Amino acid sequence: MTLDVDKISKHFGNVYANNNVSLSIDSGEIHGLLGENGAGKSTLVKILSGFFEKEAGEIRLNDQLLDLSSPKDSIKCGIGILHQEPMVFLPFSVLDNFLIGSTDQFFAPRKEALKQFQEICNKFDFELDPDTPVSLLTIGQRQQLEIARLLWLDPKVLIFDEPTNAISPAQREKLFATIQQLSTEGMLVIFVSHKLEEVAAICDSVTVLRKGKVAGSKKLPCPQSELIELMFGKLFPSKEIKDIQKGGIQLTASNLKSIEGRESIEITNFEIRKSEIVGIAGIEGAGQRTFLRTIAGRNSAESGTIISGRNLLNGTDYHQRLEKGLYYMPADRLGEGLISELTITEHIALVENKKKNQIIDWEMCYLRAAELIAQFQIQGTPESKAESLSGGNQQRLMFALMPTDADTILLEHPTRGLDIESADWIWNQLLDMRSDDCSIIFSSSDFEELLSYSDRIIVCFAGRIVGEFERNEFNPEHIALLMSGSQI
Amino acid sequence: MFRNILKSKKLLFIIVPIFVFAGFACSSDSADSDKDALTFGMILVGPRDDRGWSQAHFEGGQYIEEKLGATMITIDKVNPADSPNVTVPQIVDDMIDQGAQLIFATSDDMKDGILEAAANHPDVPMIWSSGDSAWTEGKDYRSDLKNLGNVMGQMEYGKMIAGCAAALQSDTGKISFLGPLINDETRRLVNSAYLGAKHCWTEIAGKDASSLSFEVVWIGFWFQIPGVTLDPTQVVNEFFDSGSDVVISGIDTPEAIVRAEQIAAGGETVWAVPYDYENACDLGESVCLGVPFFNWGPSYLEIAKSVNDDDFEATWTWAAPNWDDLEDTDDGAIGFKKGAGLTDDNAKHLDKFISSLEDNDINLWTGPLNYQDGSVFLKDGEEASDLQIWYTSTLLEGIDGASSAD
Amino acid sequence: MNSIRKIFTSNMSVMSTLCAVAISLLLAILLLWFSGAPPIETGKLLLEGSLGNATRLSDTSMVWVPLALASASLIITFAAGLWNIGVEGQIIVGAIFASFVAREFDAPPPLLWGAMIMAGGFGGMFWGGLTGLLRIKGKVNEIFGGLGLTFVATGLVIYLVIGPWKRAGIASTSGTAPFDTKAWFPTIMELRISPLAIFLALAGLWLVYYLLKQSKFGLQLRATGINATAASRLGVRTERNLMLAFLLGGILAGIAGTVQVGAIHHKLVPSISGGYGYLAILVVLLGNYKSFRSGLISFFFAMIAVGSIQWQLRLDLHSSLGGVTQGILVLVTLIVVAIFSQIKRNKRIKDAS
Repeated sequence: MTLDVDKISKHFGNVYANNNVSLSIDSGEIHGLLGENGAGKSTLVKILSGFFEKEAGEIRLNDQLLDLSSPKDSIKCGIGILHQEPMVFLPFSVLDNFLIGSTDQFFAPRKEALKQFQEICNKFDFELDPDTPVSLLTIGQRQQLEIARLLWLDPKVLIFDEPTNAISPAQREKLFATIQQLSTEGMLVIFVSHKLEEVAAICDSVTVLRKGKVAGSKKLPCPQSELIELMFGKLFPSKEIKDIQKGGIQLTASNLKSIEGRESIEITNFEIRKSEIVGIAGIEGAGQRTFLRTIAGRNSAESGTIISGRNLLNGTDYHQRLEKGLYYMPADRLGEGLISELTITEHIALVENKKKNQIIDWEMCYLRAAELIAQFQIQGTPESKAESLSGGNQQRLMFALMPTDADTILLEHPTRGLDIESADWIWNQLLDMRSDDCSIIFSSSDFEELLSYSDRIIVCFAGRIVGEFERNEFNPEHIALLMSGSQI
Repeated sequence: MFRNILKSKKLLFIIVPIFVFAGFACSSDSADSDKDALTFGMILVGPRDDRGWSQAHFEGGQYIEEKLGATMITIDKVNPADSPNVTVPQIVDDMIDQGAQLIFATSDDMKDGILEAAANHPDVPMIWSSGDSAWTEGKDYRSDLKNLGNVMGQMEYGKMIAGCAAALQSDTGKISFLGPLINDETRRLVNSAYLGAKHCWTEIAGKDASSLSFEVVWIGFWFQIPGVTLDPTQVVNEFFDSGSDVVISGIDTPEAIVRAEQIAAGGETVWAVPYDYENACDLGESVCLGVPFFNWGPSYLEIAKSVNDDDFEATWTWAAPNWDDLEDTDDGAIGFKKGAGLTDDNAKHLDKFISSLEDNDINLWTGPLNYQDGSVFLKDGEEASDLQIWYTSTLLEGIDGASSAD
Repeated sequence: MNSIRKIFTSNMSVMSTLCAVAISLLLAILLLWFSGAPPIETGKLLLEGSLGNATRLSDTSMVWVPLALASASLIITFAAGLWNIGVEGQIIVGAIFASFVAREFDAPPPLLWGAMIMAGGFGGMFWGGLTGLLRIKGKVNEIFGGLGLTFVATGLVIYLVIGPWKRAGIASTSGTAPFDTKAWFPTIMELRISPLAIFLALAGLWLVYYLLKQSKFGLQLRATGINATAASRLGVRTERNLMLAFLLGGILAGIAGTVQVGAIHHKLVPSISGGYGYLAILVVLLGNYKSFRSGLISFFFAMIAVGSIQWQLRLDLHSSLGGVTQGILVLVTLIVVAIFSQIKRNKRIKDAS
């Protein structure tokens, strides 16, 4: 059996989430779909599951054209999807959840279902009590329940969408064993992940997505740095930026320890000078996000010191650091960057004249918004809500909201998901700021961007800095190796 | 369809005027009603069909309607818990607007409201039932309110009979009283029940006074307000759990008899004496020893007649029972209806007790009687005055339970 | 609950809100019809009974005051994205504090009224602040914190009424003795309408309107309500703002409690809050979190509360029908509003494609 995804395209605004994506998978193999966040994996999964409608291209199973215009169609065609966090109905029992959506009959044949449920559980060694309320199960057990439910529908293709994000290592082992068993039995399995080592561990072949396109396919095993190269793109800079005179030390972090979520960091020493741009390379989860957020004060450090200019930042919170000139721009522009339901004018009013008047002069803010819209070339009006702007314009708005006295800019994925024009514009802004003595630290999953704009690149792996390269000694292959955890 | 509605703002211009017109159209026909027949307002604290205090009043009002061809305007559940945004003066205004020439405010709880309303409408006769504002000798006499009278039945007798029935039937000698809130009225009624019980326990049953226990638990209001008062059903449970076999109810609603019936159905021997409403025993005939009830009809009819004849006077009336027939609903302000639970022997004893009350052979409010704290209430042979009975400041010696709030 | 919020933040126009309310009123009256109430008569009586003459208009206005204040309180906390269920308790504590002043202090009436309002506002603020502390420092969701504190406040008021503040020789949950008439808010002539109370309600609604529209604080609050993480990134001190919202909401609720004791009951009763804290939640939902609309809808609910007395008096309908009508009204309006916004959304999707 073969699943052919042929030249699928889908765009949002002026950015392609999937651009001519093609892949072909045979039954009996575990095929990885690898890529950094925003590379287009979820869009493809949603197209396969019937949540999104594709704009172009074909999907064929055994040369038979599939019409996937709703999730129901997808199930009918034999495609089963295990979502990141399985959708379950919490107060109901395991068996009830097993039955939900699995039959067209109003009264489900419980006895029959129970028998089959137990057969599946025995086969895969799932320990699930059919009468327990699902709310008492761990995420891993809910996954098992969902797998059992999907198998009962007798699918031909099973897609695991980032299945390891919320489960324990032991449960992950179990999950992998299940996936392998399914594959051996002839199931066509797609394993979607941004985690390199997991794909390397379980998959027989892999397709890497980058910026909505297929960056390449590989048979596994292969060196991880090759996969990183596919994930992070061209290994050479596209632009040569002018080297300028660096100033004194702007910011120092030493012996920094911090944890946020599943990511923890331990940074012995980090320095950045005025007018310097430091790029952080690392695969998702290597610590770059926690590092940026700890310096910005969005996340508090467990220990260590951070000094900015002459100020010791220890014990200060995000807002105090904001006043001291640190500005943090998150990757999640609507989640943490902007307030989706507020207009541009309202955003301006929110950040303008900080301590002064408590009464807002809306007319003034409106004019100011119009001014900034022109200055930052935002496609929108002062009345546009942040959520109605495209990603590039949201990013521009975040620049427009930056305090004029900011001297250390911390950015996560500054151009992720943006069109080329916006990306160029953003870097021009950043380079201008660099000329004004600003220090810039950014993380990126784009080699081209890292190599083009960084004065220095540091490489993160497993929460530590494992390599550091000045501009004149950039070595892309080394960087890729370090990112994969290899020693040089 | 909805979209069309949404689109046509015209709809709004249709709807609003309808109501506005309706409003003005009807403002002309208010305060109509037949000039000849009396219209009176009846303000009830609980539901009109509560099988207790409020229903007794409601039926008293119906009695006037029937005898006089009058029209009653009723509003029930007037208390801050059930009707938080309705006040007594507001209702009185509305009733007078509607043509009421006489207002009955039938709860102790309406005191502040009816005093205010009476002052607002000095020309409209009003009755505050169970109150003392028109009692010239009373503590709270309001000489300024010439239009506000009071009526109360001599329920002391009813409670004495209730207490007697309880004592006669009780095996354990543990009698419980389900009390509402604590005030002059309720203390006096608990004391009366106790006096009746003690008399019959010792004089008729011939048992030792020390073997009688009499406990009162107050729920906090005239009826249950969830979250505010105790739950009367729970209190009744606890009474029976602690070995009591008779509960005398003093609250507006019939939880005691209902619960006793349920417990008896489970095989236990328990009895109850409900209160207020003549047919309250219907809720648990087999466990009912009898019910002391209010018969507001005759007294209210007198008042209504006086208003009709234009010679209403605001007086304080503490109306007596009709001793000749305690079940007569055309005469007497209170009555007592024996229940099916009372044994024939006890019923005979009870009749004897009643007739000795009637003949004034015994006056239970006679000394020696001590207050709960042991201090002297009535010296040996001293008979209590009306004032002393009405305003008894604490419970009597021999009763367990709070005399006022701690 | 967020989905409820979503439905109602979808920019309902004043016209559609009014339409929704009007349609649901019609439906409610139709439903009453089935339970034996003549429809035209019930509508007439409702209007006549709530607006028919000066007395009734004034009574309706006095029911409106606490409801409007409680709504104002909720608009502030809703703006901050909080489900401040504890308004009920804040009204109670405001009433307790105001009663304390009324009972214990003797001063020329205007001073006394001022002191009662301040004390009541302080009491509500105190209680709102506790909910805020639980939420911000203790990570206790404000719904549970608010419910818990309301429970405590109810216990407190019962304790006071039956304990330290009982009438001499009486232990009843019916209420304290009436205050000295000095502490009664002044009224116009024979009517029960208190201009001071009306002023407080109007001022409360206006204040909330002005703060949310014109002040930096209001904007920060809205930003926090929509997305606290992003608001914080943009420099908003979200915790401080949440706390201020609780405090300010508490003041408004406390003043509602003050009006309840100072202008309506003239004494403290256990059910002093009159359920306005809960009713106001529905008012604010229907009012789309807007002051002016919530003020109108409060008045509408006050009309039902006062006008429906006539149903019992004139038509001898069951006393619970007023409450039933309110319930039907809320339910039907929610449904109608949901349908409206669904139509709108469909239209938007259609226009987009």
